[in-house]
Amino acid sequence: MIVLGIETATPRVSVALADHDGVVALVEVDAGRRHAETLVPAIEFACRHADVTLPEIGVVAVDVGPGLFTGMRVGIATAKSLAQALEIPVVPLSSLLVLAHPLRNDERTIVSVVDARKGEIFYGFFRSAGDHVHALTEPRCGSVDELVADLVGRQQSIICVGDGALRYREQIVDGYRCDFADAAFPSASALVAIADKEARVEKWVAADDVAALYLRKPDAEINWSTRESA
Amino acid sequence: MITRTLRSLAETHALAARIAEFARIGDVIVLAGEMGAGKTAFAQGFGRALGVTEPVTSPTFNVVHSYDSGRVRLHHADVYRLERTGELDDLSLAELEDGILLVEWGDVVASSLGEHLEIVLARVDDDDDARIVTIKPIGPRWNARWSRIEAALA
Repeated sequence: MIVLGIETATPRVSVALADHDGVVALVEVDAGRRHAETLVPAIEFACRHADVTLPEIGVVAVDVGPGLFTGMRVGIATAKSLAQALEIPVVPLSSLLVLAHPLRNDERTIVSVVDARKGEIFYGFFRSAGDHVHALTEPRCGSVDELVADLVGRQQSIICVGDGALRYREQIVDGYRCDFADAAFPSASALVAIADKEARVEKWVAADDVAALYLRKPDAEINWSTRESA
Repeated sequence: MITRTLRSLAETHALAARIAEFARIGDVIVLAGEMGAGKTAFAQGFGRALGVTEPVTSPTFNVVHSYDSGRVRLHHADVYRLERTGELDDLSLAELEDGILLVEWGDVVASSLGEHLEIVLARVDDDDDARIVTIKPIGPRWNARWSRIEAALA
């Protein structure tokens, strides 16, 4: 069975195809906020060069965040429509898990950090567990200071990964000495590797049940006292 | 905080042009003030100073207009039609870090916009053309430039 992986939760668009032996195609494009223009041609390119036709795809894996909403909804909408059209299930995965996965052989506690913009980060803690990583915490949205306080509280050997970690590297190190992985963005190659294992035990959902994991602030009515007086 | 009296539309445009000199990619500028206070006029002077060649028009109904013809990309937003903060998340205005973002009526959602320069325009009772403008830096990003901005507007 072929797994198609769609990764658009960060500025990078990443698409991968995998069979049970591993990744057979990986297309990555760093072109800023052009996910809508890039994603479908990247899927088409990957399929064509890996000699995969759409009906051969058995499951779609998609990064559902947390991440940049502008990119994420392009990937999620595309994954859902492909899954619906092909009548196949979806494996929704967290961006933080996908970021941590390549470090699954690392002894240190892994902290995935995605840049949420405007001084905020999405982050989560992971631990190696053989051939995969498991989450130690729920994904959080907070400031770099909050992450540092968390690191100081834990006093563990830490490796940080992600564009949020690299952007705020100095500020993090000033607060707590730790190491940094080179990778900035989650890759669809990790996404399909995780999804292949999940799909073997049918840990998947219907397209309708896929939703973005968006750590919003509570929705509130805007106080329009100024507009009303105008 | 800087307060100035602007005597004409031309002076509003000139002030916007001075501030545009200090703006860089990733900046957010909040434009506050009642209907007709000159928020769009400020945006027009600002856009022209960046070298935007298209007409800068009010984004009230489209919510965001983006202009690529200037020295940096300009996003011009107006949140007047929004009712809930969740709609602001749907728009992902805070993710627009690839240019300079001007937000009309942005004062009502300022806490969601991060560091910014706040510009409040107000009409003057006995003079249709004059405006009082108040400018305030919010956050270290603008504080770092504040003394130079003060000097330029002195």
